[in-house]
Amino acid sequence: MKTIKIFQIPGTEEWRREARIALHNNLHPNDILWLVEDSTQSDLFDTLSINKQEHSQNQSCNHRQEKRSHASIAIPKSAIELFNMALCHKDPQRFSLCYRVLWRIVFEDRYLLQRKTDNDIITLTALVKAVRRDAYKMSAYLRFRKIDSPDNETERFVAWYEPEHYSLELKLDFFKTRFKNMQWSILTPYRAAHWDMTSMVLQDTPSRAQYPKEDEVEKYWLTYYANIFNPARPKKKAMLSSMPKKYWKNMPETVLIEDLIRTAESKSRKMIDNAASD
Amino acid sequence: MTDKLATKLEILSDAAKYDASCASGTAGKRTAGKNDKKGIGSLTGGTGICHSFTPDGRCVSLLKILMTNYCIYDCHYCINRISSNVKRARFTVQEVVDLTINFYKRNYIEGLFLSSGIIHTPDYTMESMVRIAKSLRQDHHFKGYIHLKTIPNASPELQTEAGLYADRLSINVEMPTQKSLNTYAPEKELGEIHNAMGRLKNKITEHKYDKTYSGRRPPRFAPGGQSTQMIIGADASDDKTILTSSVDLYNHKKLRRVYYSAFSPIPDASQVLPLKPAPLVREHRLYQADWLLRFYDFKLDEILQGTKDNMLDMDHDPKLAWALRNRDIFPIDLNRAEKHLLLRVPGLGAQTVRKILSIRRHTNLSWEDLAKMRLPLNKLKPFITVSNYRPPLYLLDKNNLGDMLKKPEQIELF
Repeated sequence: MKTIKIFQIPGTEEWRREARIALHNNLHPNDILWLVEDSTQSDLFDTLSINKQEHSQNQSCNHRQEKRSHASIAIPKSAIELFNMALCHKDPQRFSLCYRVLWRIVFEDRYLLQRKTDNDIITLTALVKAVRRDAYKMSAYLRFRKIDSPDNETERFVAWYEPEHYSLELKLDFFKTRFKNMQWSILTPYRAAHWDMTSMVLQDTPSRAQYPKEDEVEKYWLTYYANIFNPARPKKKAMLSSMPKKYWKNMPETVLIEDLIRTAESKSRKMIDNAASD
Repeated sequence: MTDKLATKLEILSDAAKYDASCASGTAGKRTAGKNDKKGIGSLTGGTGICHSFTPDGRCVSLLKILMTNYCIYDCHYCINRISSNVKRARFTVQEVVDLTINFYKRNYIEGLFLSSGIIHTPDYTMESMVRIAKSLRQDHHFKGYIHLKTIPNASPELQTEAGLYADRLSINVEMPTQKSLNTYAPEKELGEIHNAMGRLKNKITEHKYDKTYSGRRPPRFAPGGQSTQMIIGADASDDKTILTSSVDLYNHKKLRRVYYSAFSPIPDASQVLPLKPAPLVREHRLYQADWLLRFYDFKLDEILQGTKDNMLDMDHDPKLAWALRNRDIFPIDLNRAEKHLLLRVPGLGAQTVRKILSIRRHTNLSWEDLAKMRLPLNKLKPFITVSNYRPPLYLLDKNNLGDMLKKPEQIELF
């Protein structure tokens, strides 16, 4: 049994490197124990740094092998794309699952991915789906607040967002493209991304304190949200299925919801009861 | 920003909420160019992101507002008609532009959906709306989504200019027949609306397909196409009339979407209107039928055949209703049947059909596979066969099969 430790979050690159080596060495999925080392836990720091050294040595030793294996094993591009998504899931089993699927594609069935009723594929698809949704929700529900900068010329925006999985990496391109000419920071509990209009800097475990308490435009957004809602057709379930409560903490407008629902019925009843005016 | 602005926003978003076409459609990909030091925004190529949901279950994707709710028209179903007592307000061009940019920078929205009451003349109104879109595109290099509600009898020149800046244009037909318009929207002419739609159609296709002699494309024109809305249940039109006019609009005016909006009571309603809201199930059934027409190769006759009073069945979705009337083609073998037949099976969506076709190439589908795919087994049971399952012969012959498959429709009231 070989133990492979993953140090990074989410660990996509590390997994890919290790998986290539393992595949080349013909290591069966059952003979590998994939371990997640949470590098942000400080009490583990000593052992961790040692492991990290060993780790990097191993890495350089295997460098040549790795190159060769890369040349000889062809993996469908669609599989790589699925692994990249699935590996952003918080489930610690993701590394062993992806390796098992990789192994099976290479040695068992090149078309494994198309077997949508295979148990591994069902699990993999579920992880991918969860991550895809989480990443989409991040691009949808993240809210920037403006910081007044000292020179008053460049605007700076900061968002605090708590994704369910490691979705930040998946959405960096989206935010960079959309808000290219804006200075912004996106803070998540595990990592922050800072964009200064030319380059991106990543920072681990940022402090929430950088997130401003308020924004001058937010009250207009709340005004809009309250008034675009039609009280004559409340559908709370439909709202909750697209926007479950776990997302609410990221969104300022959700403080209004309970009130809007409570007053909806009386509002629409009033419209029906009121005599027509002309 | 002042609080006067908040009051305006309150009035002019409240007035816009009755328009159903809130989604931002697909209009291709777009980003600020490499050397564009000012540009903001992007279109991702798919449908726009839903940035929030309101308690009526609707997606909030765009800043959907009226430029003004002053109006010289008197359409009875409309909250902004001249004879209504609602509070009135009017945004300046700058206010709309600033709101859009400020909302966009905070990641609240995908763009702007701008509609308006008619002030002074149709041309005057249209011109102000175009100025807003133009300023967003030219002064702010805005790359997000813009949907303009077009005034049907504004001049063709203004409509051409609108198409230059907007991703989608729309004109609401509101009612399927001139007779209904006469009663409810006396200033509106169905012919005029259709003409305007035809003009938009020509411009849109011209931009898409025609190249000039030098090989260049004609100027950009509403790459997201046009859409429209019909109000359901305010007038007496039956579902056949409504769907017939939708088919006509899809075929002849090349519309991207027809939205159906169940009439819901508005404050300060006109006496001509029913006081009760139209059932939301009806709106839902119309959307389902619309989907069958566009994505499932159903013909209108097939959907309407055997319906009572030309109204869709409220108890069953139109596809199940069709299957119940055409039991002789079932059960269908999921491992062998052609795509167009798979699309007829109640409980199989277009995406599931694609999945089945892909799996089938490698393995024979079993009943357990269907469960793993989380398909609605109860609904499928009478209509399909797979490798290890055939429905008992009596099932399809049952007189009460329809009742067995009836789902008490969950329309929420609390």
